Amino acid sequence: MTIVPRAINWARQAVRPLLLAALVAVAGLAFAGATAAADPSASPDAGPATSPAVAPAPSSAPDASAPTRESCVTCHAAIDNRQHDITEQWAASVHGKSGIGCSSCHGGDPTADDVTVAMSTEAGFLGVPDRSSAVGICGECHANIERMRQYQLPTDQLTKYRASVHGQRLSEANDTRVAICTDCHGVHDVKKASDPTAAVFPLNVPGLCASCHADADLMKPYDIPTDQYQTYQASVHGKALLIDQDLRAPSCASCHGSHDAKPPQSSEVVGVCGKCHTATQALYEQSRHAKLAVGPKCWTCHGTHDVVTPDESRFFHPERPQIDCTTCHDVNDRSLVLNADRFTNDADRRCDTCHHDTSIIYSQAQAIHGALDKASAAYGIAEQRIAEAAAAGMIVSDADVTLSEAKTNLIRGRAEVHTTRLAAVAALTDAATSKAAEAQAFAEARLQESASRREAMVVVVVIILLNIVALLLWRRSLHAHSPG
Amino acid sequence: MQPTSVDRATSGDPATTEDLSRGIASPGRRRFLRAALSFSVVSTIAMILTPIVGFLIPPKSSGGAGVGRIPVGTTADLPVGNGTVVAMGSKPVIVVNTTAGIKAYSAVCTHLGCIVAFDPTADAIICPCHDGRFSPTNGSVISGPPPQPLPPIAVAVEKDQIFLVSG
Amino acid sequence: MASPDTPIDSGHRLSDWFDERLGARDLFAALVHVRIPANARTFYFGGVTLFLFGVQVVTGTLLVLYYKPTPDAAFDSVKYITSVVEFGWLIRSVHHWAANLMIVFLVLHLARVFIQAAYKYPRELIWLMGIGLLAVTIGFGFTGYLLPWDQRAYWATVVGTEIAGGVPVVGPALLDLLRGGADVTDATLGRFFGMHVLVLPLLLGAFLVAHLTIVHQLGLANPRRPTPRKQAVTRTPTVVVPGTTPERLKPFFPNYVLDEAIAWAAMLALLVVLASMLPAGLEAKANPIETPAHVKPEWYFLAAYQLLKIVPRDVGIMAPIVGIAILGLLPFLDRNPEVRARKRPLALLLGLVVAVSVAGLSVWGYYS
Repeated sequence: MTIVPRAINWARQAVRPLLLAALVAVAGLAFAGATAAADPSASPDAGPATSPAVAPAPSSAPDASAPTRESCVTCHAAIDNRQHDITEQWAASVHGKSGIGCSSCHGGDPTADDVTVAMSTEAGFLGVPDRSSAVGICGECHANIERMRQYQLPTDQLTKYRASVHGQRLSEANDTRVAICTDCHGVHDVKKASDPTAAVFPLNVPGLCASCHADADLMKPYDIPTDQYQTYQASVHGKALLIDQDLRAPSCASCHGSHDAKPPQSSEVVGVCGKCHTATQALYEQSRHAKLAVGPKCWTCHGTHDVVTPDESRFFHPERPQIDCTTCHDVNDRSLVLNADRFTNDADRRCDTCHHDTSIIYSQAQAIHGALDKASAAYGIAEQRIAEAAAAGMIVSDADVTLSEAKTNLIRGRAEVHTTRLAAVAALTDAATSKAAEAQAFAEARLQESASRREAMVVVVVIILLNIVALLLWRRSLHAHSPG
Repeated sequence: MQPTSVDRATSGDPATTEDLSRGIASPGRRRFLRAALSFSVVSTIAMILTPIVGFLIPPKSSGGAGVGRIPVGTTADLPVGNGTVVAMGSKPVIVVNTTAGIKAYSAVCTHLGCIVAFDPTADAIICPCHDGRFSPTNGSVISGPPPQPLPPIAVAVEKDQIFLVSG
Repeated sequence: MASPDTPIDSGHRLSDWFDERLGARDLFAALVHVRIPANARTFYFGGVTLFLFGVQVVTGTLLVLYYKPTPDAAFDSVKYITSVVEFGWLIRSVHHWAANLMIVFLVLHLARVFIQAAYKYPRELIWLMGIGLLAVTIGFGFTGYLLPWDQRAYWATVVGTEIAGGVPVVGPALLDLLRGGADVTDATLGRFFGMHVLVLPLLLGAFLVAHLTIVHQLGLANPRRPTPRKQAVTRTPTVVVPGTTPERLKPFFPNYVLDEAIAWAAMLALLVVLASMLPAGLEAKANPIETPAHVKPEWYFLAAYQLLKIVPRDVGIMAPIVGIAILGLLPFLDRNPEVRARKRPLALLLGLVVAVSVAGLSVWGYYS
């Protein structure tokens, strides 16, 4: 469901030359429809209609512009179902609950009983704000430090929004198709970001962004890809957030910003990823890669929206790849560049995409890969032998400490790859290999013991069978002696 | 009931190995049967007694039979602001001397199972794998990827001796 | 009574010395020198159960030398027995397997007695004692299961005691009594240990003595003909019931005892094989705050466990209790004197239905 064309549609409806009252009614109708269409979860609870219909604005409302009496709902709730729904949504919203009334956004004088006074231009009545002015109306309160203090809300959203790609297009190109406040937060049914049913709740953010950014028609004028949501969903981050519901996993906003939404530049990526991957960032900063102005960044090896769990296969292509000088060098002056297009395919995010197999660096990468492979294999064998010993009924928990030491060193060794230093990686992988060997020796001893138990069992069973034969002989002699 | 009540007539029936072979004519066969039965008796007794006697001999590594307390060292070895990882049975345990007293936690990171260590400069228990940080005072996650706090282990201090209490 | 038939020679001097002071030979003769129906087919199920009980006494006594019945130490002591003590794995595994086999053979013995109608007059009390032995043996399994104090032990006990707590009226009190409190704790372990090593062995011993004594007094049942009612019976050994041919008999000792010894030796071999190939394991130490994914009771409770899942709670809990009660009262309910299987189609059909449904429920419970 798309929001922007509908909004245009509503705006068209709104400017129809009609009587003032009719205009308001139609606009209200349209808005109610829009809200319901934009966010199905926002439909009001089927509660008794009486309370919201007569809901008076709390008289204790601290806001200076808040009406002491919300006369708007008295009439509007009775106009028709949609207007009625709007009043209900508002009453249930964070604004309704805090006593922020209709006039805060729509203008007018809610204290006046006479409709011609309440909705007069003299009283500052605005009608339905258009999309280019809506951001400013929200900002009137939300960028006001004094007003926001009591709610402990930040006030930098408007500034950030103005700096975002969305805000820039809105202000510079007067492009009203971009996302504005209400597209993400709702219109009358604004919810707190901490409310799990809010569209801006972290778990819902990828779907919210995708509602526009995955729509090829909407994105056509901007010439930007629309597969980010799809690739994100399949990524390690997307799975963690959307499937495991792990709120620590990043949504779109974690890397792109929310109000200040803008793709991070290549030079900014390390810091963006490092916000969570602190240990890895620290290791990367020590590397030769980090010292190059146009050296590989996180995305060069791990991708962007499509980050997967890394493993040892990330070092090299299975087959020797076609080395393309322009991947890393400027054709004219041979200076270092980074051709981002060469890394769009995950299969190409490998060391040997840049380092051709006759270079010294390639052999170093090979050595690092070899050290990790060796440790990883040693750990795998140790784990497998321990599992075999456990399957043979042996108690193997005494190998737990050694095995987790091996695992710790192996995981650290993998992380140490980011330093691109062979010695640092090898120190950890050697420790992992020797600990794994220790754990394996333990498992072998247990398996040996199991085997010798079974050998002893065979001997004992043979002896018992001989006993049985002797007893059977006795039995036969007994029966021979006294048949029956 | 008559058939199975004690049958006095049979009370003197052959019941010993000496008499069992009355029906066997050949003395050779009789001797063989006696040898076989003797083997039977001896081997059965040996088979049963060997594990029993072995079981009764106390193992050399005495005290390992589920001791409830594991000594860690003295408070002098572990001044305030220091931590150490020890093995409790088959589980690594980190013992930290904090300003709030001596604390012990499972040393297995709740993220991917690496063994954590105490970092005095950060005053935190840090997992070297992914920089997961835990509070030394209560084991809770301060930052990083660990999903759960480190489970606490009971620790007892008697005079200057530190013990871990399993259970 | 002395044994004048026995020649006194040097080989018997020691036994004579004792016999003069104990009268043991006579007692022994009275105990074993009996005759049993020639067509008796026991398949040695009862005797094997007795053998397994003996194995349990020996291995259990050994295990208790190292075992420590407190939550802090129980798991570690079992681990110590299994991985450090010489032959500890063998003793523990044999104890584990003999416990399982004991239930198997007890049920086989029960089935044999049922099919041969050996529970009928005058053997009602033998049957009743046998049901008592069954109950005590199940109690052994239930209490012994907790003792290693690993995850499986702990959670099976949590589930098992909860079922006991569901018994109408007395349930909550029973739960409290079994657990020694609201939860499975050190108090539960203490109780189960005490039951397992003291209360139940004494109970089982008492039932066993009664069971065997009455069997000895009444003799083995003939699977072909019913024991005549009292008026037709005299206590003299040679009386022949009018209108019937004399029963063909065979000596209990040594013939039957020898067969039994062969069965026991085979059983010992089976125990050694099971203990060596599938030694008793040990899961992670019990953790009261972490329920494992699949909590299931021991296999012999699976039928009751599965029944509980498919019928209303009260029915599911009462059904096994009522079932055991009916089983115990069987000789008083089934008044038909006929013993031949072919002539008791209804009883056998009912028995078959019960056996098949219990087996079916167990299999269902295992795979659910």
